[in-house]
Amino acid sequence: MPVWPSISRARAAVLFAASLLVSISPARAQAAPSSGPPEPATRDVLDEVGRTVRIPFTIRRIVSLAPSLTETLYALGVQDRLVGDTVYCDYPPDAQKKPKVGGALDPNLEQIAALHPDLVLLTKGLNRLDTVRALETLGIPSYATDPHTVDEIISSTERLAVVLNVAEAGKSLAHDLQRQLGDLEMKLGPLPPKRVLFIVWTEPLISVGKNTFIADALRKAGAVSIVDSSQDWPQVSLEEMVHLQPDYLVFASSHSGAVENNFEALANRSGWRILDAVHDRRYAVISDAVDRPAPRIVSAIEDLARQLHPEVFSPARAPEKAAPPRNPIEPPHFHAKPVTMRSMTLPRPTELSCDR
Amino acid sequence: MRPLTLGRLLLRCGILAVILFLVVVIALKLGAVQVSLYGLGRDLVRVLLGQSSAISTDYGMIVVDIRLPRILLAIVVGASLSVAGASFQALLRNPLADPYVLGISSGAAVGAILALMLENQLSLSPEFAGLSTPLGAFLGAAITIGAVYLLGRREGQIDSTTLLLGGVITASFLSAIITFLMSTLAGGNLRGAPFWLMGSLSTLPPRTLLYIVGIGFLVAAGAIYTTASDLNLLLAGEREAMHLGVDVPRVRIVVYLAASILTGLAVSVSGSIGYVGLLVPHAMRLLFGSDHRVLLPTSALGGAIVLVIADTLARTVVAPSEISVGAVTALVGAPFFIYLLRRRLS
Repeated sequence: MPVWPSISRARAAVLFAASLLVSISPARAQAAPSSGPPEPATRDVLDEVGRTVRIPFTIRRIVSLAPSLTETLYALGVQDRLVGDTVYCDYPPDAQKKPKVGGALDPNLEQIAALHPDLVLLTKGLNRLDTVRALETLGIPSYATDPHTVDEIISSTERLAVVLNVAEAGKSLAHDLQRQLGDLEMKLGPLPPKRVLFIVWTEPLISVGKNTFIADALRKAGAVSIVDSSQDWPQVSLEEMVHLQPDYLVFASSHSGAVENNFEALANRSGWRILDAVHDRRYAVISDAVDRPAPRIVSAIEDLARQLHPEVFSPARAPEKAAPPRNPIEPPHFHAKPVTMRSMTLPRPTELSCDR
Repeated sequence: MRPLTLGRLLLRCGILAVILFLVVVIALKLGAVQVSLYGLGRDLVRVLLGQSSAISTDYGMIVVDIRLPRILLAIVVGASLSVAGASFQALLRNPLADPYVLGISSGAAVGAILALMLENQLSLSPEFAGLSTPLGAFLGAAITIGAVYLLGRREGQIDSTTLLLGGVITASFLSAIITFLMSTLAGGNLRGAPFWLMGSLSTLPPRTLLYIVGIGFLVAAGAIYTTASDLNLLLAGEREAMHLGVDVPRVRIVVYLAASILTGLAVSVSGSIGYVGLLVPHAMRLLFGSDHRVLLPTSALGGAIVLVIADTLARTVVAPSEISVGAVTALVGAPFFIYLLRRRLS
C-alpha cells in the first residue's frame, strides 16, 4: 500500500515534459545514431512510494535531496549528473562541493528550479510529502525511494540505476554488496547473535525501533537490538536496559576517539554504571554510515561484525580486509572514511552526545 | 479628536498600500536566486497582461510560480492575523489578547497532526490530498473555538475573563496532546510538524487554497468592519455600550466568529506565526489612533507589510536554507513588545 498517497501529475508536468521533448531531441540524435525507431523522449516509471512519474528518457541533471541518495549516485558512478544536493550531503567529500539547495526537510524550491533538474531524488524516510507536492505543482519530475531493510537498500539502488540508465553499474554494485553480505552470513551463521543496545542519543536515551533499517543492519552484523519498539526512534528507559542487560553498547560515529571519551563519561554515571556492558567496557563503534540507507552501510555492517564476533575473523585474513576489493565503477575514494558527521539521515539528532 | 472623513481614511490606507507595494516588489526581487529588477518588471507586465506563457526567462517560473504565491500568502496571513488580533483586543478589552490566546492555534495544530496521520490510512484523490492538512487544521481550530466559547459562558452571557482563562487552559491542554502525539507516533509524515508548529510559509500552497483563504479573509474582515463603530463604544465598557444602543451580544458573536475564522484560515496554511496579531494592532494604534474604523484596515495592511518583510528575511538570511518565519517575528516582536510596555508605563 502506498503510504504517501499517489498523486497524478499536474497538467504542468505534461507541458514540462513536452518542452523537454523538444530540448533533448538533439542529444537523442547523438546517442542513437541512425538505426531503429527513434526513442521516446519521456517514459513513465513507478517509484517506491507508488507514484507513476513521467521522466525524461535521458537524465542529465539530478538534484538529490538526501545524503543517502547522494552517496548512492557516487557509488553508481553518475556523480557528474548530480547538479545539486543538500547542505547535509557530506560524503564523499566531493559531494560537499556541489551546489546546495538547502536542507533535506526544507529545500529551497527556487534554488532547485534554478538548477533545471531533469529529476529530483527524494527518500520517504527523510524528505517531506509537502516537498513532493510542491515539485509536482512546479512540474519538476521527482522519484522517491523507500528502503526499510539492508536488502531493500540494495534493491532500491539497483532500481534507481535502471531509472538513471546505468542498469549495468547497478547490477554489478548490487552483486558485490550481496556477495559481501553472503560471506558475512556464512561466517556468522552458526553464532548466537549478540544482544546490543544501539545508542542514537544518550540524554535522553534514544535507540532504534525494530522496523528501521538500522535494526536490520544490526541483525546482519550478528547482533540483535534489545529494544523491541515499533516506533522508529523510541526513547527508552535506563531502568529497562539495566533489567535487560545488553551484551554490548553500540555507538555510531565517524571517529572512535570521541566515542571513547563519551563512554568514559557514561561509565561514571550512576545509572549507567550498573550496566554490565559498561562495567566490562563492552562497546562497539560502528561507522556513522549505518545512519544512511546507502551502499556504504554494508561496509559498516562488516566492521561491526568484526568487533562483535572477532573469533570468526581469523587474524590472517585481516590485512586482506584492510584493502577491500574495489568496485570498478566506484570512484576511488568511495571507501574512504567520512570526514565529518553532521548526518541528517535520521529525523532525530543522530550525533552522539560526545559530539555536541 | 477630529471626526473621521473618508478622505483621511483613504489617505492612511493609501500610504500603507504604497508601502506594501514597494515591499512586495523588493520581496519579489530578493531570494536564493538572483533576479534583475528589469526582468522582474518585464515579467510582471506580462503577467498583468495575461501573457504568462510569454515568460521565457530562466526565472519566470521562480518568480511567478514560487515567489509570488508565497508573497500573496504572506499578505493574506499577515492581514488575517492582525485583523483578528485587533478584534480580540477590542472584544476582550485586553491589550495582551492575540489570535492565539484562545487556544485556536493549538487546536489547529492537533487537527493538522491528526490529518497527517489519517492521510496515510485514506487513499485520497490527488486534488484533495494537498488540502487535507489545512482542512484538518481548520476543523481543529473550529472545534476549539466552539469549546472555548462554551467554557467562557456564564449565565448565558460571555464573560471576558472566563473566556480568556478558558482559552489559556485549553491551549496548554492541547499543547500537551500535541507533545503526546508527536512522541508516541511513529508516523514519518509528522516530520513536517515542527515547521508547522513554528510557523512557516515555505510549502507551496495549492492555488485553490490561496483562493479559499483570500475570499475567507475578505468575508470575515468585512463582517468585522461592519461592527467597527460598535467596537469603539465597547471599549468604554459593555454596560456603557449597551446604554448607547449597541447590541452587545450580537457584536460579540459576529466578531468572535469572524476573528476565529480569520485565525483558523491563517493557521491552516502557515502554522502559528506569533506576534504579528499581537503587535501590529498596537503599532497601528500608536500611529493612527484607536478608532476601529481606521484601526481595522490599517492593521490589515500593516500585518501584510510586516509578514512579507519577515518572510523575506526568513528565506534570504541563510539562503539556500531557511529559518522559520515564526522565529523571525518572535525575534523582532518580543523586544518591540517590551518597548511598548515600557512606553506605556512611563
